[in-house]
Amino acid sequence: MGIDEKDAAVSRRDFLRKGAAGVGAGALAGLAVSEVDAQRGGQRWDMSADFVTIGAGTAGLAGAVSALEHRATVIMVEENFDIGGHGMVSGGNVHLGGGNSRQKKFGVQDSADQVFNDWVRYDHRESRYSDRDLVRAFADENAAAFEFLIANGVQFTDESTGPGAASTVPRQGTAVQWPIKGEIMSADPTRRGSGIVRALEKSARAKGAKILLKHKLTSIVRENPGAGRVLGITATTDGRTVRIEAKKGVLVATGGHTSNVAFRRMFDPRLTEEYQVAGEPYSRQPGDGELAAMAIGAVLWGTASQTVDAGAWLNKTAYIGCRWGYSSLRWPAESPIFDRIKAMGLANVDWQNVILVNQAGRRFYNEVATGYDFLNAALGYSGNSTKLNGGGPIWAIFDADAVERQKWDPKPPYVDPEYFFSADTIQELARAIVNPYQTKPMPAAVLQETVTKYNSFVDAGADTDFKKPTPRYKIQKPPFYAAWSTPILHDSLCGLRTNAKSQVLDMQGQVIPGLYCAGESQGGFAQHGLGRAIVFGRIAGREAAQSGART
Amino acid sequence: MTGSRPAITTHRCAVTIGQSVPAEVEAGTDIRLNVSVTCVAGCDLSGAPIAVLAGEDAIVRTALSAYNGTENETENLCLRAPGTVGEHVWIVMFHRHESESIAHEEGSCPIMFKTVPHETTMAIWDVAPSPVLVDQPFTVKVGVKCATTCALGGQIVVVVDESGRRMGQGSLNEAPWLGTIALYVAEVALVAPANAGMATWSARFAETDLALPHADTSAAFTFLAALPPDHELTISVADTHTHAPIERVEIRCGCYRASTNAQGLAILQLPAGTYEVSAWKLGYDDAAPTTIEVNTDLGIQLETSPTPETNPDMERAWM
Repeated sequence: MGIDEKDAAVSRRDFLRKGAAGVGAGALAGLAVSEVDAQRGGQRWDMSADFVTIGAGTAGLAGAVSALEHRATVIMVEENFDIGGHGMVSGGNVHLGGGNSRQKKFGVQDSADQVFNDWVRYDHRESRYSDRDLVRAFADENAAAFEFLIANGVQFTDESTGPGAASTVPRQGTAVQWPIKGEIMSADPTRRGSGIVRALEKSARAKGAKILLKHKLTSIVRENPGAGRVLGITATTDGRTVRIEAKKGVLVATGGHTSNVAFRRMFDPRLTEEYQVAGEPYSRQPGDGELAAMAIGAVLWGTASQTVDAGAWLNKTAYIGCRWGYSSLRWPAESPIFDRIKAMGLANVDWQNVILVNQAGRRFYNEVATGYDFLNAALGYSGNSTKLNGGGPIWAIFDADAVERQKWDPKPPYVDPEYFFSADTIQELARAIVNPYQTKPMPAAVLQETVTKYNSFVDAGADTDFKKPTPRYKIQKPPFYAAWSTPILHDSLCGLRTNAKSQVLDMQGQVIPGLYCAGESQGGFAQHGLGRAIVFGRIAGREAAQSGART
Repeated sequence: MTGSRPAITTHRCAVTIGQSVPAEVEAGTDIRLNVSVTCVAGCDLSGAPIAVLAGEDAIVRTALSAYNGTENETENLCLRAPGTVGEHVWIVMFHRHESESIAHEEGSCPIMFKTVPHETTMAIWDVAPSPVLVDQPFTVKVGVKCATTCALGGQIVVVVDESGRRMGQGSLNEAPWLGTIALYVAEVALVAPANAGMATWSARFAETDLALPHADTSAAFTFLAALPPDHELTISVADTHTHAPIERVEIRCGCYRASTNAQGLAILQLPAGTYEVSAWKLGYDDAAPTTIEVNTDLGIQLETSPTPETNPDMERAWM
């Protein structure tokens, strides 16, 4: 039985209404993968390659290209209808330094040691809890990883930005957005990560990678459940099971676990179902790679990094009245997946124009505030005795005057009728809120009381409840509005334990032969974004390709 | 030719209501339901009469329609609940129905519900001027909405102070407030308290002569009563870099507010005292708050500049 690759490619073309990006499998170079129907090692395989990546996002693509450059054959398995994962909808800022060519051009002094020293800083929460063996490998490979991107067609803007997070020198490179509009999911304001993943896809296909879209991982196959080498994977597509042999290695690059409510609640029980995830609905972080690896003995690593109240793992919404309002990712109406997104959200929110209330209709913090003090208040107990964990939905409440001041158009496609409500009076507004995550009706009298009290703060010029700086505007003029403004999740900052060669380790710290991990599914290094995904994906591809093939 | 009539077989029938009727229904509003009748022998009862009775009176008479192999249903029925408040029992009645050889026995099903007054809610806004001056007239808008969108034009709203003393009243307009579905609004003329400070008054609505009963509603509102002005404060706002005047900058000086005109000027009348002046405009940096002492007519200058366009991609370290 072979893979019906033609079907997958057609589906993607249909969806994008334009030609598929890159070169199809028909142009496979000399390093061909093989479709097999044979029994080997007690296993029956439908397809075979040296290196199999589970996921075709940033880490998977970096791993694939790296493996191909080291003369391995590659199959990439991707659950989505197209490649890219979170990278496709990323801002495209790549944190790689170490003295690379761009840094040299701009006179930035940097070195591998400097990268290491920055990213093991004890005084920064995004570096404090990282595994220093991983950081050392990251540092040592930083400059080479950047040049690897350049060599594979990724273009960067001619500027030097940063430093950011734990870095002390500018290391940030900003990718140029992929120029073919029909091959990106959003361009508002920019989605420059598309320039990285499309370029790597193009390179991977040209070098011979076979990319299987709409193939969902079901298991990682090991010789024995708790011992022996990883042999390959199983996946499903169109209801069929496909067994794919990996002669040299399998890379878990499934993008993290944040979309998996049960998984994410292992680290923070507050993160119940109401919290949406940046990057969705294009790319999900279901944790399936981690779960499949854990089923054969892998363990998690660096779990503290997931809950240190630093970085971007949890965010205040920037766009309200829509389901996904992550700060730098706005979904325009022309997005090819807008039928799933449903609304762009109301933008440029001046938090003086709204109050934020929880599901019980009560304010919980100074609306102008940002950061984890605000976010923790939003996740606080709302008084709903039937929902003790999670803070429940957060609603921005405002009036007709605010709409006028903000020049908002509170109708679709700006707002989603399931995440935005209006009414003639405040009490009616409370009753109008019907949303899957509003598990109890908002008490109308409570919301009325909240608004009346807030309006008195505006008269008095002081918010004696939450110290909002000089509350400016009453919420008084009908009609009234309630817009979804619940914090949104982003990063997976903990995942599988690996060594510096991206090899997955078990509870005893022993290598699980043939299993690698990179990207947001990898634990032990809390850096946000694309840099670590590229570095460890590249390491994994190279290490697997250079390892001895299973016989 | 004569002959004896064939023996008639009798079948029992069960009457059921398709949708459950809510226990409480607002008086005079529609109740939607459909009725099913099932013959124990599985007969098709198409065309047989059905009635919904309130005592001896029929609310509706209709006939069973299509047979689905098990039962006959009526079309969806839309019945008007009584326009008075109270408890009610309606009976859905399937009368004995006889054909040549089969009789279908009478069957019935009660519908019990309570009619309640229409719920009303209120919005209060536009206290003007703001702040109001002690002992001086001011106005406020009071809007009332019926949950079932009844026309409330001509109804009276009353404003009372903290002690419940009637301070004024207004008549709701005949047309809903622009942009609302059915919010009827009155502008109520009032006189401010004699003493300066924050006041919390409330408005009340209690219908008197509407065709259907409506529940009372009330809501509180706050306002600040200020002393009469002694002095004039002129504030000019200009761009920090170009020194060009900026219009529509909102100024707040204590409880006094104004916005700048095309010349970048705002004028406030206010009593002597110490005030913190703040100024803001969307798209501009907030002007640094300034504390001023007002004991004569005064002019001050504030500066601000456009907030640089931020690229959210760059605000985050990398995504």
